[in-house]
Order: sequence, then C-alpha cells, then structure tokens
Amino acid sequence: MAELSELMALPGAVAAFEMNDRGELLEHKIAARSDLDAQALDLLGHMCVANIAIATMQARGWEAVSDNKGFYPINGFTLVGMDWSAVTNGHRCVVLANGEADYELAYARLGVDGGET
Amino acid sequence: MLLAELVNQPGVIAAGEYSYRGDRFSYKGEIDDEMARMAAIMCRATSMSEHMQVGMLEQFCPDCGGSPPRGWIVRGPMFTVCNVANVFAFLHNQAASLNDVMALMQRRLADAPTDLV
Amino acid sequence: MIKRLLAIDGVAAVCKCRDDGAFVEGYGMMPDEQLEALALFAHEYKRIVQGNADQLSMFTGKSGWTPPTGWIVRGSGMSVCSVGNLVCVLENGEGNLTEVMKELAEVSHL
Repeated sequence: MAELSELMALPGAVAAFEMNDRGELLEHKIAARSDLDAQALDLLGHMCVANIAIATMQARGWEAVSDNKGFYPINGFTLVGMDWSAVTNGHRCVVLANGEADYELAYARLGVDGGET
Repeated sequence: MLLAELVNQPGVIAAGEYSYRGDRFSYKGEIDDEMARMAAIMCRATSMSEHMQVGMLEQFCPDCGGSPPRGWIVRGPMFTVCNVANVFAFLHNQAASLNDVMALMQRRLADAPTDLV
Repeated sequence: MIKRLLAIDGVAAVCKCRDDGAFVEGYGMMPDEQLEALALFAHEYKRIVQGNADQLSMFTGKSGWTPPTGWIVRGSGMSVCSVGNLVCVLENGEGNLTEVMKELAEVSHL
C-alpha cells in the first residue's frame, strides 16, 4: 500500500490523504500550490466512502441481474471536478490536477484494496 | 458521433448517453437494450449524486477547483465505467487505456452544460 | 400555507422549492441564505433518492420503490425530512418525526 508521499509523487498531485471507515481525515499532505485545505479533504474523504459504497451497491446489483461480471468488488472511484480529480481506493485518496492526471498510474499505486474477483 | 468514436477505441465495450431527466438513452457496443437501460439509470444516479456532493464541497471550499463536476470513474477488477457529462463508457481494464478514453471524452464534452438539464 | 408546519413541536425550519430546484419560500430559525441552501440541498437530495429508488426497482424486480415519496436523514440531534417539494428541519428531542412526515405529506398535496 502506497505511502502518502508516494501518492504525492504522482504527476499533478495536489493533495493526498488517508481516511477512516467513515471518511474522517486521518493524515494528509497538501501541495503548496493547492487551494484545498484539511476541511475540504475531510469532506472529500466522506465523499470517497459514500461513492465507493454506492458503486459497490451498483456493482452488486448489476452482477446479480446480468451475466456481465468483473465490477465487484469495487477497486476505486474517481470524482472528476472542474480543475482536479480525486482518485480513491481503500482508505486513501489522491487529488490530481486534471491536465496531468494519470488515472491508470494512480489506481496502480492505490492498489486493489477492495479485493479481486 | 462521440458514442461511435468511443466504441472504436481499444477495449471500450460499450458507450451510452442519457438525458438528465431520465426519459431517454442511446448506446452503442456489445451490450443489450436492457443492460444499456440499467447502465444509463446507474450512471445518471451517480452523476446526480456527484453533483450534490461537489455542491456541498463548494460551500465549504469556494472556488477550490471542484465545481462544476465534470465526471467520475468507477474501477472494478476487470472493468471500469467512466462518465463525463451525460455520456458513459464501459472499458475492459486490460485492453483499454482509461487515460486515453477520459481525455477523448473530456475533449469532446468540454462545452457540455453542467446544470443537469 | 407551509408556515403551519412551524407550529409542530421541534420543527426549526421549513422550505419549499419548485420542481427545478428554485427556492419558493422558507420560514424558521435560520437566515434566509441558509433557508435557500436547505431548499437546494433538498432538491439535490430528492434527485439522488429518485436515482436510488430507480436502482432498487431495477435490481430487485419488485414494484413499490418509485416514485419515492420522500426521505429522512437522521442526525444525532437534528433530522432533515422531505416529502415532495417541501423540506423540514427537526430537533429530534423536541418533536415527533412521524408527525412531521404526516403533516409534510398532507401539506405537499394541498
């Protein structure tokens, strides 16, 4: 599992943080050039947990009613905002500037905390 | 036509478009009508949720670069769903480049309205 | 008309929005901008609950989920509850949620 410093080394990383099961902010790093603050990251953490939960429900339902498997368990969610994307999996999230975001690399570094099929 | 362009990308299984009102959808690719309808319902629900969440974030952190939201990505062990504006794509993780597909969608939908109408 | 909801024990605020989310009116113990934010929140939350109900209907194959009537978010000290285009903020210890939901259902159909 990547350390926050490894997530901050991703191209365009403006913040990285760790949250608990409820989404509460535990540890964080914010690049000097970012407007984000700890309160915003705490809210983002809650969003990460909410979205993984929603996506998990959707994947579960989808696989129950179709033959199309391979979504469950969820291995990550990304919220693409206007200027940045928040890429999350497990208890970690990295916020990347949209112009430089490498989603594949971010997911590779976040790992497959949700588990494999 | 963006949907045709998307399904011609390597590893893209299907692509679809839905109305925010929830009353119509269209798609191309290797899924049937019922799956496309379900996918459109799920993607619309997630986009609505994302819109509310980013609105909340904007209250706490005005002009910090999240609003308006541009889209989202759900990563599964074998497949990924990505959505920009009201267009979604189903990708095979091994065969598709998530970065290329996201870049194409963001480029083509850069001027898409963000008021969910 | 929606002012009568304020007469129920524990109701701290009530708001009404249009189908498109535009603020119509709001009353209670909070500033106007918070009442407008509450109406917007209720509108966005309604869309999410509609999305959830659509998915429950789709995945379970059972009827009765859609269209959703309303929603309740229960906090530790306060609750927010909504029916139709109306939303109320309730102090949990001061009032009865069931009573508020019944009244919301009645007023929203007037």
